Amino acid sequence: MKKTFAKYLMIILALCLTPFFLSLFHLNLLSEILIFGIFALSLNVLVGYTGLVSLGHAAFFGVGAYTAGLVAKNLTSNLFMTVGMTVLISVLVAALIGLFCLKVSGFYFLMLTLAFSQMIYSYIYQSTNLTGGSNGLSGIPKAVVGSFQFANPVYIFYLILLFFLLTYFALRLVVKSPFGQVLIGIRENETRIKSMGYNTYIYKYSAFLIAGCFGGLAGSLYTYFNGFVAPSDVYWTMSGAALIMVLIGGAGTMNGPVFGAALFVTLETLISSYTNSWMLIVGSVFIIFVIFFPKGIVGIGESVVQFIKTRKQQAYEQKKSHAT
Amino acid sequence: MRIFTKGWMDVKRRLSKMFSFILVLTLLAACGNSAINTSSNEERNEASQQGESAETIKIGSILPFSGVYASLGKDLSDGMKLYFDSINWKVEGKKIELIEEDTEADPQVALRKLRKLMDQDNIDILNGAVSTAVAYAIRDEVDSKKLPYLTSHAGGNDLTRGKRSDYIWRSSFSSWQIGHSMGEWAFENVGDKMYIAAADYAFGREVSAAFIEAYKNAGGEIVGEVYPPLGNNDYSSYLTTIGGVEADGVYGFFAGSDAVRFVQQFKQFGLKEKFKLVGSGWLVAEDLRETIGNAAEGTFASTFWDYNLETEENQAFVKAYEEAYNRRPTIESLEGYDAARIIAEAITVTKGDVSDSEKLVEAIANVSFTSPRGEISFDKETHHVIQNMYISETVLSEGKTENKIIDTIEKVQDPGK
Amino acid sequence: MDLIGAQLVNGVSYGLLLFIITCGLSLVFGILGVLNLAHGSMYMFGAYIAYSLTATYTQSFWIALLISPICVALLALVVELILLRPTYQLGHLSQVLLTFGLAYVFHDIASYIWGSNVLTIQVPPVFSGSISVFGQVFPAYRIVVIVIGIIIAALLWFIQAKTRWGAIIRAGLNDKEMVSALGVNIKLVFTIVFIVGGLLAGFGGVIAGPILGIYPSMEFQTLILALVVLVIGGLGSIAGTLVAGLLVGVFETFSRFLFPELSMFLIFGLMVMVLVVKPNGLFGKKVA
Repeated sequence: MKKTFAKYLMIILALCLTPFFLSLFHLNLLSEILIFGIFALSLNVLVGYTGLVSLGHAAFFGVGAYTAGLVAKNLTSNLFMTVGMTVLISVLVAALIGLFCLKVSGFYFLMLTLAFSQMIYSYIYQSTNLTGGSNGLSGIPKAVVGSFQFANPVYIFYLILLFFLLTYFALRLVVKSPFGQVLIGIRENETRIKSMGYNTYIYKYSAFLIAGCFGGLAGSLYTYFNGFVAPSDVYWTMSGAALIMVLIGGAGTMNGPVFGAALFVTLETLISSYTNSWMLIVGSVFIIFVIFFPKGIVGIGESVVQFIKTRKQQAYEQKKSHAT
Repeated sequence: MRIFTKGWMDVKRRLSKMFSFILVLTLLAACGNSAINTSSNEERNEASQQGESAETIKIGSILPFSGVYASLGKDLSDGMKLYFDSINWKVEGKKIELIEEDTEADPQVALRKLRKLMDQDNIDILNGAVSTAVAYAIRDEVDSKKLPYLTSHAGGNDLTRGKRSDYIWRSSFSSWQIGHSMGEWAFENVGDKMYIAAADYAFGREVSAAFIEAYKNAGGEIVGEVYPPLGNNDYSSYLTTIGGVEADGVYGFFAGSDAVRFVQQFKQFGLKEKFKLVGSGWLVAEDLRETIGNAAEGTFASTFWDYNLETEENQAFVKAYEEAYNRRPTIESLEGYDAARIIAEAITVTKGDVSDSEKLVEAIANVSFTSPRGEISFDKETHHVIQNMYISETVLSEGKTENKIIDTIEKVQDPGK
Repeated sequence: MDLIGAQLVNGVSYGLLLFIITCGLSLVFGILGVLNLAHGSMYMFGAYIAYSLTATYTQSFWIALLISPICVALLALVVELILLRPTYQLGHLSQVLLTFGLAYVFHDIASYIWGSNVLTIQVPPVFSGSISVFGQVFPAYRIVVIVIGIIIAALLWFIQAKTRWGAIIRAGLNDKEMVSALGVNIKLVFTIVFIVGGLLAGFGGVIAGPILGIYPSMEFQTLILALVVLVIGGLGSIAGTLVAGLLVGVFETFSRFLFPELSMFLIFGLMVMVLVVKPNGLFGKKVA
């Protein structure tokens, strides 16, 4: 218990100190990783813990991003207002979509979530007067709290870090709670959980709302970070990217999606600077992970740790047998 | 006793680990380019400029090299390189370095790449953006960091209107220029009733709106409008509807694969017999001409450059391009070529000094020369290019289509509002 | 009235085109249980290979129509042997993800070989004229598509209902284990079905090429459309795919006619409505 606490403290400390030794470009990259980390973590609640594979998560990201942008541009750029509105609208959208999508399961669930996401996309794309359409929503003012403006990228980084830590620990609390255990049970064997008397629909619906809420939050942070939202942030490729992050990182774990987000962002940025065939590389990496590392990066990490432990154990045993 | 010692050793070990960790961090912070240092200056980091700009001028170019617009990005890049080749990549004794990054026509990726170019590569001038969304996305960043940015394709009206910036200058075109010039001409030369069909995205809407405004002002009547979604794969239903309407012509704004399908299907559904097809240069663009085939015959288009423009400068450009790349230049190639020349001429005026953004931008503002598309210069107020617009007609020559310039509209200037 | 009739013909033609493109996907999913997300990519290869054949080596559309699907079928064979066969034990979801990664890889391969320009396939001169139907002018090729669609549907029905292979497939759709227990080499069946899926995808690419065009990222747009048709029809049913294709084709054509801007939105709305009323699609069987 104390050990994990110390570990978390070290990591948080390191993250807080990053603006002091990372270049601006790398700091911004880290900010993006954290935002996508939140996004992937929110999808993980659905995919990793409840076993509902969704291809429509971009809907929440987009709704969150556009809500934050529109509120900031037309009403007020007060941070609490924009985040508040974002969470509210994202949860409402999740509530509506959830009603339809949770009536079906498996592959049909995948397609329905995709359908809703695409409907939201086409609405945003064609409402040129409201959302700027294909040109995107630009000229969004920076977030303010009272008289303090989050204009500097370093301040924005701290804001994002704060939300990331809040999200991480909140979600960790949720999945380690009895509620989370029921979700895992639903993933493993829904009929069994039902026969134990749980109303699985309510649990799945709540998971959907939670995922939508944090997905929207990630979207709004993206708006503060870039000062710009484009319809491509709502396209199904964004949902696909989130799914890749969760699966490559390690679904069903808390750290997996974050590693997945880090790998994806780094890969995309680094590779496309050297070659135009980045899709080839991402696709191949994905295939390799699916076949050889189905537990994702977290799985690799665990096997390495396990390997080292067994070697240490063996060495210890050898020493003991030599001593005696 | 033993346990106590072991515990103390543990604590000592852990403390020393923490100390060395913090020491390493402080050392890293002290030297170099940490975010805290660079973000406290609003302007580009002058210090790291001095060492390098002595001998090399860095031009950053953000273009789509993958995805739907990949061929446009490639053409623009090739055009730029052709010009720089012709001056041996040297201006005022300094070497020119072109750093290209792929935006994938995605604004988020573009922003990431821009940050890399500004923070890691320390570029002096920015060029590019094919997609207007990308240009709008980077506008604030470029403006606040005072980076001279020569927009070489993105045509959204707002970039030189509401989103104008001291540091952003556009050498390509605006949606207004394209649509407006055809509007007046169409009333005089096609007829007084037109039907509008334009792809439903910002570019399509802007150009067709400009056309409608000019056409109506000249006295024409718009009998109907339809805006199929971008990427619509089958126009049969729209064309069948249009077929039943009374009009002299159809104004179609489509680009890329949409243009190919629309023009081909326009003929297949028999509309070519009833209406004249009118559009922007992209409807019959050079890179699509062969693919569209003979269906394009008889189409009128408004554009600011065509392969067949019969001027000395253009013929020299076309020859050089074909020799270097073994294919015909497209309008994007021309844009790249001109952008490179504008940058080179501006640098010549400042005698190779790129450290002062204000001076560089003033130099760009004063650039004017005869390009393969005719005479171009900049509007000092809107920061947009003033150029001729041409009306082309697609004719059949030796069994294949060619665009022929049949009319010129001189010195079209974007109104800036 | 003429206008409605004409739009109907448009709709049926487009709908049958959708059927031709989607039936391969439906077959593979029904038998293998794997949603082949690289289906769009195979369709794309069919179109590109046909382009290369008609533009450079031979002017004949018919030769391309023969050779291109065979090439894609060979590609499908390679994919099945190398990627899918060794990984059946990983489960359906993993194999779907594999095909997704594959789609990405194929995208760059195609872009490397054929570049990123917009291309087209020339229709054989015999069909390049226009016909008058309901007082409206139609490209003759669209009518040809209707005919070909009907032929393919009839062929698939015939194979399913009247041949031994069809019996195996129908049985496999119902209960894979039982079929295996009855002595049929299920692995061979899987491979052959996947090859046929590839064949149909390539065939779809050649037929649809002249209408839909060839351009970068075409495979993803086509994939989404095929998925919509597949879901509406119901997984595991070819008849469902046919009905769904026609439904989507006619619906989309009329929605373009009546609500031109909303057509993208309405297609997905249709899918939502169908799934709400029939959660397994129109003709679908319950899928695990």
